[in-house]
Amino acid sequence: MKFHLPAGPPDLADSRSHSDDIGRPGRRARARRELISVLNTFLGIGLFFAVWWGAASQLPRSRLVTPLDAGRDIWSNFYYSPRLGVFGLGEVGYGSLLLYTLGNVLTGLAIGGSIGILVGTASARLKLLRVFVDPVVLVLGTVPVLVAAPLFLLWFGVVPFTQVLLVALYSAVMMILFSQRAAQNINPIYERWAMTFGAGPAFRIRHILIPGTVPEIIGGLRITLASAWGLEVFAEILGAPSGLGQAIKALTNLNNVSGLLACVVIIATTAIVTDVLLFVLARRIAAWA
Amino acid sequence: MTPQEAILSVNEVGVRFVRTDGTPAEALRSVSFKVFPGEFVCILGRSGHGKTTLLNVVAGLLRVHRGEVRVMDRPVRGPGADRGVIFQQDAVFPWMRVEENVAFGLRVRRFSKRERLRIAREHLALVDLTSVGRAWPRELSGGMRARVAIASVFANDPPILLADEPFGSLDYVTRRQLQMVLHDLWRQTAKTVLFVTHDVDEALMLGTRVIVVKNGNIVEDRAINLPTPRTDDVIATPPGLALKHLLLRQIGLE
Repeated sequence: MKFHLPAGPPDLADSRSHSDDIGRPGRRARARRELISVLNTFLGIGLFFAVWWGAASQLPRSRLVTPLDAGRDIWSNFYYSPRLGVFGLGEVGYGSLLLYTLGNVLTGLAIGGSIGILVGTASARLKLLRVFVDPVVLVLGTVPVLVAAPLFLLWFGVVPFTQVLLVALYSAVMMILFSQRAAQNINPIYERWAMTFGAGPAFRIRHILIPGTVPEIIGGLRITLASAWGLEVFAEILGAPSGLGQAIKALTNLNNVSGLLACVVIIATTAIVTDVLLFVLARRIAAWA
Repeated sequence: MTPQEAILSVNEVGVRFVRTDGTPAEALRSVSFKVFPGEFVCILGRSGHGKTTLLNVVAGLLRVHRGEVRVMDRPVRGPGADRGVIFQQDAVFPWMRVEENVAFGLRVRRFSKRERLRIAREHLALVDLTSVGRAWPRELSGGMRARVAIASVFANDPPILLADEPFGSLDYVTRRQLQMVLHDLWRQTAKTVLFVTHDVDEALMLGTRVIVVKNGNIVEDRAINLPTPRTDDVIATPPGLALKHLLLRQIGLE
């Protein structure tokens, strides 16, 4: 079958003249935008440290230490910190405490996120399910962590499960809302078009609903991950067998400002790194967005 | 099915809906017509007079209140691969590369990957998009995405093609180009086309037959016997102008 483009104005008639370049300017512009975004992030971090340094130089060391002091504290206590052993944390350093916290955050997020994505997308399509899900989410979402965390401690005790459950619960609530919105935001024209090709419900879920919701769900997952760090540390401060929250509690009792700031820096750095990893993953699986 | 038998029959179809204020309204009132294989039928009418409703009924995307639609002598119960649809709205999947979009229907029908790609590339060549097969839809212009939609539907090889004002949102030059692309593909493949438009010139340019829909009724059903190719000069001949005036009168503009 041979086809010739109809005659028309020379500047518009032939798409071949410009179609060879399709994608290249878009990719270049995108790469430039991302580079600027990364530079802005580093600029923001640099500005934060500059302000911190400036404030520390004006305040006594008992109130605020410099970023360099906090860095030295991390260096000397990362593998083993004798002062933490006094508070019953055993022979630990920031490193092993971080692993405990990170493990709980990722486990809680994996469990809660999976449940949230599944329930959220399903409830966006099934009205009957939404009748049950929406009130539950509303109630759970309005229960303050300050109330839920002590209750969980009383019910389940000072065990890792308590913190994981707290993170999983709030992650699930957030991801239900994000996923529900993502599924509802897909333009119905895509499903209608798929149906005209003979695509059944299962095929449409796999090829329309899932890929179409991925960018928004990953965006929600990044916000949920940031919240999960706060929840986990808070739950650990209230009561946990290990974790950086417990270190913060111990260092507060010791009035150790450099140690406290060291914990904050460790948590913030790990949170940023995990967020960047999630962002990179998002770029790989939703390159079209 | 012999060539004389209708490929599509719309028999006394009525569609009702309820307005937001609760009052009932009839979008289609006992509409009947037959379409024969290879025809290019344009459904012409003003906005809100039922032409898109009619197309959606044939596509199986809308249920009828009364009557029946039959395609190749089988009643329409829902959408299906025997009726390819090109919507006015951009429906190209943004999460699939261009050639994956074109191969979508073939994937639904479980063609092998190699075969899917072969057919998709062949159809991309037909709409002059060979070089953008691996691009994402967001990297294309509106006109190029419309070409992708045309290629996607033709690649799936449905006997009937339904188009709902597919070029309505494009600029004049792009629209004219795409009209000719569609017309050429129709001539080469001999498919049956049902094409909704509110543009009398477009209907005269493309159709072998024009059905005018007004207030949910068919008020005109006329074969267009103008010579092809239908250039502006052909439309400007006395028979062309007479047809144009007739159609304009029927849709209520003169």
